[in-house]
Amino acid sequence: MAKKQRVAIVGVGYSTVGRNTGLSLDELTAQSSIAAMEDAGITPKDIDGVAVHSFPHQYVSATHTAAMLGIPDLDFYSSSIDGAAYSVAALHGIAAVASGSSEMCLTLRTVHRAGAAGGAALLQAGAAEGISSNAQFSMPYGSFTGSHWAGLYMQRHMAMYGTKEEDFGAFAVAQREYAIRNPTESFFTQPLTLDDYMNSRYIAKPLHLLDCDYPVDSSSALIFTTEERARDLKQKAVFFDSWAMGTTKEADFSLVEDMTHSSPWMAAKRLWSKTDLKPADVQTAGLYDGFTFIAMQWLEALGFCGEGESGAFVTAGNTRANGSLPTNTDGGACNVGRRHGANFFIEVTRQLRGTAGDRALPNEPKVGVVSNAVGGFAACALLTTD
Amino acid sequence: MTQQAAATPPIPAPTKLTSFFWEGAKQDKLLIQQCNSCQKFQHWPEPVCHHCLSFDLGHGEMSGRGTVYSYEIATQAFDPYFEDKLPFVIAVVELEEQAGLKLITNLVDFADDQLKVGAAVEVTFRPLTDEFNLPVFRPAAG
Repeated sequence: MAKKQRVAIVGVGYSTVGRNTGLSLDELTAQSSIAAMEDAGITPKDIDGVAVHSFPHQYVSATHTAAMLGIPDLDFYSSSIDGAAYSVAALHGIAAVASGSSEMCLTLRTVHRAGAAGGAALLQAGAAEGISSNAQFSMPYGSFTGSHWAGLYMQRHMAMYGTKEEDFGAFAVAQREYAIRNPTESFFTQPLTLDDYMNSRYIAKPLHLLDCDYPVDSSSALIFTTEERARDLKQKAVFFDSWAMGTTKEADFSLVEDMTHSSPWMAAKRLWSKTDLKPADVQTAGLYDGFTFIAMQWLEALGFCGEGESGAFVTAGNTRANGSLPTNTDGGACNVGRRHGANFFIEVTRQLRGTAGDRALPNEPKVGVVSNAVGGFAACALLTTD
Repeated sequence: MTQQAAATPPIPAPTKLTSFFWEGAKQDKLLIQQCNSCQKFQHWPEPVCHHCLSFDLGHGEMSGRGTVYSYEIATQAFDPYFEDKLPFVIAVVELEEQAGLKLITNLVDFADDQLKVGAAVEVTFRPLTDEFNLPVFRPAAG
């Protein structure tokens, strides 16, 4: 019987990323996979596992990806279209390596900018027949996209805890400070002021344009393996200390029981139950910012601040480079574009390796946390280095 | 640019699970799926009761009274039908019949200073098309 393996991140890579790359999902996927293999110093013959997450309307197959890359034979594969974005592929890959189902697993998230928001594009595709899915209870009300639950979550937090739009803005402003130091990846390299944020147009008040991540074509790849294999590879190994998913009993984001305590709270509670580490041990965070408020719900759920206090925590500067918890040090998805969760795993890995360049944190972090999604489903993980 | 025919709204395609909701709305009734075994309500409709796992499901008529759980003011349409309706209010309303029983809806006839989380509301019905009425909510009378 195989014993549980310690799981290491040994390779990370991105594709070309842009608003209109002209690259197919497969081309993007191949680019990021090759970049991650080069980063790890391995070849396709070393890989025996592939875990992919994609949108159903932008489907990427794990077995086809393996064939495309010349991976001879897979011991494990997974092609998820359900749940918490890249972190689903990540947690499948972690579980595969930890259990001995895979010795070297490539994990992927590839997304196209066009149609990624889903609702409106899907409606237009099927408008003539009407809406047979449960979207028949939302779309006739003009509720189509993630922005339409995001505004509701923000308003609820504001009503329950006195959070202000400026608090969400403070998060966007702090992220931009990091983005300026990441000019090769960030699409935005000019300083952002709170006035700029407040003057950005509303999408669904209180949600501003600058609360939203930046839709792009992208593919992100990370390679996981066992501790034993990791010791022989070229990068300093970063390990998964613990990991967890969480869901709510209501699958629809707008109908969850408690918008201010959605799936991140379930995942975070489970994460801390699986480790001896405490929130105070965490030195950097990569918290999903599909919308600013999501990262802020994670700050509360993971215990970095009190319940309802994320607005004050962020406004006090705690997520900035000199704050108590430097957060989203690559600039976050609002600045580097929608990598759909993978950039947080990649950037925290780079911080723990000590390869974050101008963004390297002076405290040389050895413990970091990553998270993905909100609402109906979420996942998170703790990363460490020796 | 030539003016096209007026944009059509997103139209439900009722299924055997959901047709009661739209048939009720057509008669100005707010019907919600109800378990004939444990009497609990659930929305959206499902083939099985998630409280007791019974397949014996019907529906019950709501009073139409509830409270605003959250709301937002939509300022971008995402679909041509909503372009000339901006801004409008999207909300989640919690119905009085059962804690946590909520639906996505629109708030109508609200003055700006009435819009708040926790506001008391009552259902009213607005035509979506000739075939469909949409349950929406207005400030509760009195």
